[in-house]
Amino acid sequence: MTRRSRAGLTALLAVAAAASGHAAPATLPSALEVNAGHLQATLDLAPAFPADLQKQLSNGLTNVIALHVALLPERGGGPVALYGREIDVLYDVWEETYSVTVKDPQAPHGRRLVFPRFPELRGFLAQARGVDLGPIEELGSSRWVLQTRFELNPVSKELLERTRQFITNPAAAGRTGTPSRSVLGAMASYLLKSADTGAEVYLFRSQVFTAREVTRR
Amino acid sequence: MRALALAFTLLAVTPGAPLAQEPPEAGTVGPLIARRYLVERIRLEGLRRARPSEVRRHLTLAEGEVLDDAAVLMSRLRLLQLGWFSRVESRVERGSARGLVVLVFTFTERNTLVVSDLVLGTTGPQPIYGGFGLTQGNFLGLGLALSGAFVYGGRPAGQPLAPARFAVRVAFFDPELVVSRVPLVLGLSMLALRGEEFRCSDPECSAFGGRYGPAPRLRYDRVGGEVNFGVRPGPFERLFAGLRVERVGAQRVGGTAADPGGPEPNVRQGRSLLTALTATYDRDTRNDFFFPTDGSRLALNLVLGSQMLGGDYEYSRYLLQVESDFSLPGGHALRVLGAAGIVQGDAPFFDRFYAADFAYFSVGPALGRALELNFSTDSRYDAYLGMAGAEYGIPLWSGAGFFHRGYLALGLRGLWSAARPRAGRTHASSIPVSGDLALRLDTPVGSFNVSLGYALDNAL
Repeated sequence: MTRRSRAGLTALLAVAAAASGHAAPATLPSALEVNAGHLQATLDLAPAFPADLQKQLSNGLTNVIALHVALLPERGGGPVALYGREIDVLYDVWEETYSVTVKDPQAPHGRRLVFPRFPELRGFLAQARGVDLGPIEELGSSRWVLQTRFELNPVSKELLERTRQFITNPAAAGRTGTPSRSVLGAMASYLLKSADTGAEVYLFRSQVFTAREVTRR
Repeated sequence: MRALALAFTLLAVTPGAPLAQEPPEAGTVGPLIARRYLVERIRLEGLRRARPSEVRRHLTLAEGEVLDDAAVLMSRLRLLQLGWFSRVESRVERGSARGLVVLVFTFTERNTLVVSDLVLGTTGPQPIYGGFGLTQGNFLGLGLALSGAFVYGGRPAGQPLAPARFAVRVAFFDPELVVSRVPLVLGLSMLALRGEEFRCSDPECSAFGGRYGPAPRLRYDRVGGEVNFGVRPGPFERLFAGLRVERVGAQRVGGTAADPGGPEPNVRQGRSLLTALTATYDRDTRNDFFFPTDGSRLALNLVLGSQMLGGDYEYSRYLLQVESDFSLPGGHALRVLGAAGIVQGDAPFFDRFYAADFAYFSVGPALGRALELNFSTDSRYDAYLGMAGAEYGIPLWSGAGFFHRGYLALGLRGLWSAARPRAGRTHASSIPVSGDLALRLDTPVGSFNVSLGYALDNAL
């Protein structure tokens, strides 16, 4: 436990998987509390982990886990609070240890950890504690939802842009500047259309709650 | 109290109990970036068609170098962009001694043979015609593109002794030809074609009442090819220069007292030779060939035919085609299109603009050509072209089945063309606006376009 006074877990929410490019768990357990006047969440991310997480994180290369939590009005609109955490995991094939760097609002420059075994690493990754979502007073009497985005090895749009230049040119199939009426086959688009970059993205959305439901100690 | 009740109902987790253990305090210091292993070997697994040497050309790190995670990721993405693989995974294994590692790439290859053309149609002068085209995007596993297409119509209606109409095109493309350490792009294409153009006094050949056998026509054939060399001035740009040579034969046939023949498409009678220099600038930043939601494409094509090159035709042709794609709310997309072209001089008809090629459909006899073969009675080719349009795309599904993506396209185009300066719009498109409602399907063997515009074009 941290030194901060805990108001206690006062509301637990079942967070439903709203959208995912992969098979998503039905629920993502989370808990809300008030800590020093701030709304804070604790998330259990284990249900979001892919089955081959150990294989992926043990590949000897840097793996990135990105977590973004947004507090949204139920009626729609932009987030009133955002929280982000990025975790780099690197398995050392010679040392046989997992080195981890965590960057979040508490440690924007990163704090480093080393885990000798995967179960301990998994336990650490599964839990996101102290997700600060701002002063509870600002929530008023409105109804809110938490939206959680969990990404494993996200590939940035910028990086994809940089590599798009390597696409083979399909336009060379015909004489340039000469359209041809092809009835059904419009064009050969055989390139990146379904290539899997290996990124896994999960999006969860909680049940609706109000500030009153998050009791204070 | 209400909140606590909610907690027990939903999760049955004791309030206050941690959901996971904190990491051990003993292991809280360690380097992440300081690791410097040497890549002793790079191993490629899962390659069946692609040649390992071709794959290695696209890696951004080599054996003997320090392992760099960013370079490994860049290599993976580069390999994915080639279109040869549906999945590329990487991992590191221990090498033969401490400090050395083996970098392993595991590939799942994908189909690179796709349908690039599929033609089926019917017109009065050609009751049935069809064609097919295939493109191999990784020929011999060497990263070369080879494509072939044909269209066959057979003998024209009412012409039992006439030769069959057909067109065959073969193209070869090498995206990375290194000559004296200079990376070039090489393209070769060949075309053989035998066709007919009507030369009736009106585009409908109305004097023949649908029996086109005796109608006056121009029978012609073309055999030739084009070679192009190109460079890549920028990441998304290609600049080509090439030479095109074609042997052309043409002969007037048919005609009756009712219609002895009117204006005819421009081409030398008898045997002639076309030689032309070509240049193309292509800039393509679209994020997807099937359903782009971002980026643009600009293609400028110049053709300079000259008797100085030994040919019989003195002309120039300029065609600019642009496209810009935008992402809209709800995953929808907007594509804005445009084209402008000018032909000057004594260009043969097949290097002029056939308006129906640029429209979704045309009201009247004109019909978009198939592999440059015109199966309609309308043989008016224009020297000036302007086209502007937009297409709204609504994604319908995206999954793992054979039809793994599909979207609905609603298109609208305005088209203007003219045979002479200040001549105004020709009758080639008597209604200059055309629209389309199409279902576009993306499959492992190519993209397909089920188009209402095409159906209209055949019906109108």
